[in-house]
Amino acid sequence: MKKFSVGYVSVLTAKWIATLILLSIILVLFIYSGESIHQIGFGFLSETWNPGNGQFGMLSMLYGSMAVTTIALVIALPFSIFGAIYIAEYSPVKYRLFLKSAMELLAGIPSIVYGLIGVAVLAPLTGDLFGLTTGRTIATAGIILALMVIPTILTLCEDAFSQIPKSYRENGFALGLTRYEVLKNILLPIAKPNVMAAILLGFGRAIGETMAVMLVIGGIDKLPQPIYQLFTPGQTLTSKLGREVGETAFNSLHFSALITLGLILLLIVLTFTLVSKYISSKKFRSA
Amino acid sequence: MRFIKPKSFFSVGRLVAFCFLLFTSISCVKSGRETIKIDGSSTVTPILDKLIEVYKIQNQDVNITLNSSGSGTGINLVGEGTIQIGMSSRDIEQAELDRFKNVKFVTYPIGKDAVIAVVSSEIYDAGVKALTREQIQDIYLGKIKNWKELGGPDKSILVIDKEKSRGTRHVFMEYILGNKDAEAPGAKLVLGSNNEEQTAIAQSDVAIGMISLNWLNKDVKGLGLIIGDKTIEPNRENILNGTYPIARELFLVTNGQAEGNTKKFIDFILSDEGQKVVNDLGYVSIKN
Amino acid sequence: MNRITKDKLFIYCTKLIIGISLVIVFSILLFILYKGYKGLNSGFILTESKSFGAEGGILYQIIGSLMLTIMAGIICFPIALGAAIYDSEYLKNPKIKSITSTLIFGLNGVPSIIFGIFGLIFFVNILGTGISWLVGSVILAFMILPTALTASRQTMESIPKKYREASLGLGLTKWQMIRSVIIPQSFSGSLTGLFIGLARAIGETAPIMFIATAFSGVTIPYNFLQPAVTLPTHLLNLAQNAVNPSALQNAWSTALVLIFLVVVFNLTAMILRFKFKTYTPQR
Repeated sequence: MKKFSVGYVSVLTAKWIATLILLSIILVLFIYSGESIHQIGFGFLSETWNPGNGQFGMLSMLYGSMAVTTIALVIALPFSIFGAIYIAEYSPVKYRLFLKSAMELLAGIPSIVYGLIGVAVLAPLTGDLFGLTTGRTIATAGIILALMVIPTILTLCEDAFSQIPKSYRENGFALGLTRYEVLKNILLPIAKPNVMAAILLGFGRAIGETMAVMLVIGGIDKLPQPIYQLFTPGQTLTSKLGREVGETAFNSLHFSALITLGLILLLIVLTFTLVSKYISSKKFRSA
Repeated sequence: MRFIKPKSFFSVGRLVAFCFLLFTSISCVKSGRETIKIDGSSTVTPILDKLIEVYKIQNQDVNITLNSSGSGTGINLVGEGTIQIGMSSRDIEQAELDRFKNVKFVTYPIGKDAVIAVVSSEIYDAGVKALTREQIQDIYLGKIKNWKELGGPDKSILVIDKEKSRGTRHVFMEYILGNKDAEAPGAKLVLGSNNEEQTAIAQSDVAIGMISLNWLNKDVKGLGLIIGDKTIEPNRENILNGTYPIARELFLVTNGQAEGNTKKFIDFILSDEGQKVVNDLGYVSIKN
Repeated sequence: MNRITKDKLFIYCTKLIIGISLVIVFSILLFILYKGYKGLNSGFILTESKSFGAEGGILYQIIGSLMLTIMAGIICFPIALGAAIYDSEYLKNPKIKSITSTLIFGLNGVPSIIFGIFGLIFFVNILGTGISWLVGSVILAFMILPTALTASRQTMESIPKKYREASLGLGLTKWQMIRSVIIPQSFSGSLTGLFIGLARAIGETAPIMFIATAFSGVTIPYNFLQPAVTLPTHLLNLAQNAVNPSALQNAWSTALVLIFLVVVFNLTAMILRFKFKTYTPQR
């Protein structure tokens, strides 16, 4: 019975462990959010969060997460895409490694360090610059987050361009096109799905980021007044979890409500991640 | 391509065996030195931090770990039996007693403290030095939005609230709004520990917040309370003689009477030597 | 505007943007270096922290972080290696292959705070381990598993078929072939992946802050069920106290040490990639 050698059994076990982690995370969150989904139900769709009175409205957190992530992507996208185009297409080869290492260095800075920069430098600066009562705002969190997702999106976009074979560019140049025209008419259409995938993955990363956002966003469970005023404090799903999970009794309704927030966050992130994988799996293959 | 000679230590079998041994050994080490685990109020944390430092000089063989996640957490963890000592800056509530029906909570008062309405030093220096309970109430309810209405500069107020599980907030809101869970619609920021609140108030020049006596400094000034025609300054004398109204006792909480090392440590805290530490840190000892 | 100007303008724009990015990267790094360097000395690294880290050093935080990370590596590596072997040598059904690789890809996207919550529920409460550094290591190991696994699998799949055929032709059993060809040939590629994962693990706060760390009072955990103090959670405490000058100074120095450790792990990964050129996948 060769198939059941110790080696086979151990690699099979490893495979099972690796496969089951994600499923058990989803399962555990699902079980522990059950109580609150049952008891609160549509009560989640209100603005007030006051566990003392049994109110668990998550609208402000959903709004905050979306707003912060959108700001981050709006700032990060031009940097990532143009930066990726420069590194992949125009930079001299000798600089390429340097530029990529710089991006890896930026990607390696832990999120808590960004949080420190946010609290100690960026938040006071934003407050003074815009004459706000406090610099801990949704917009500040968005700016910090933008810095954090640029390396992720840039690296993936760079891959999208640099995996296109050289012959495509050479053909374009031979037809007398300029570098810009080659990029716009030949390379961009080919790289587009992977660039989209990179953006979606960046979105998933950004919405799940906790520490930096938690320290600078202000932690108040309220929708901004008016709703488009982003220079006001707010709350995101992650900052709520980071601040409250450790402070809540296990098995209470409050705990269960927080787990529901976590489950929603996880489902949003998984959707974006998997859609991104689906798009990029239909990737371009060289002839 | 160089072919690397097979080496036996790369064997997966051995790695698996190693891990298996590792995990079995984990289950065996549950015994060992007794650890006292402490968690709870961020107001009480500095006292315990210092007390542990002093206590360890004489008792090097005990192991004491300290966390600081708020009074609510401390009480919950004691109820769940995860930790030996909870720190609390408020009384145990009925809801908590109900949740842990089988647990007999024992509380040990270790000191006194006051929760003080504080403002940024810029506001204090501009002349807002004391407020009535009703004025603070209106600020937290969002009825007063500008310091001008209180005799200060023409600047809007940055109202800082605390997370709802924090003991400091319970005591403060109980006095100001009459209910520890009351909503504060005027709040602009919601923060956690005393440190975090102190930082935000110091960074701002228009903030009001609530904080323990010990966190006042040159950037974070305590407001007097105007009651009737008297102004009660937030200082040690007024807390000692009981005239400052937003005062509280600080507790340690255990599950049943403390025993063994835990009891020894609590006895040390309640001794003259321990209480001197409490006093030296700027809190008010129970011996007074 | 003619075509040539347009072309030049566009390239100028990309240059400008990459220039701005570089300025941002280096100003962040130089800023931390400048702020952190002032408080950095042997006393800071080799002493215990006092009064919430506002005084003293970060000796036990460094030790705690390294313990957590290295243990995460020890737990993660056999699982990653084993699962990768199964994928590349045994798994033939394309459907199962795509489902399981999707699950791993999904795991890679799970927000770090979710790992923390999962650890809190599953280990600390259901299994009743209490707050323990080992639980933190297990959770970090889960978190970096996709990185390590994918790197191992890519290396193994890039080993030419003739190596396998040659060793099987010599009469080795399949498992002997895996032991003597696949594992040694892919070892450095797998280690590279592991170290890239560890570089991420050492800086993470959210997964461990509920389940593995204490605020103070911990020196070196003497058994697996003790909490540890770590650099990222220490930094979290200090960041909340960012107005006290000496706490802030210690925060910058701690941040610098943390980034240094991240760079060390990343460099180790790079050295492994270049030094042992077996089948290390090139990105």
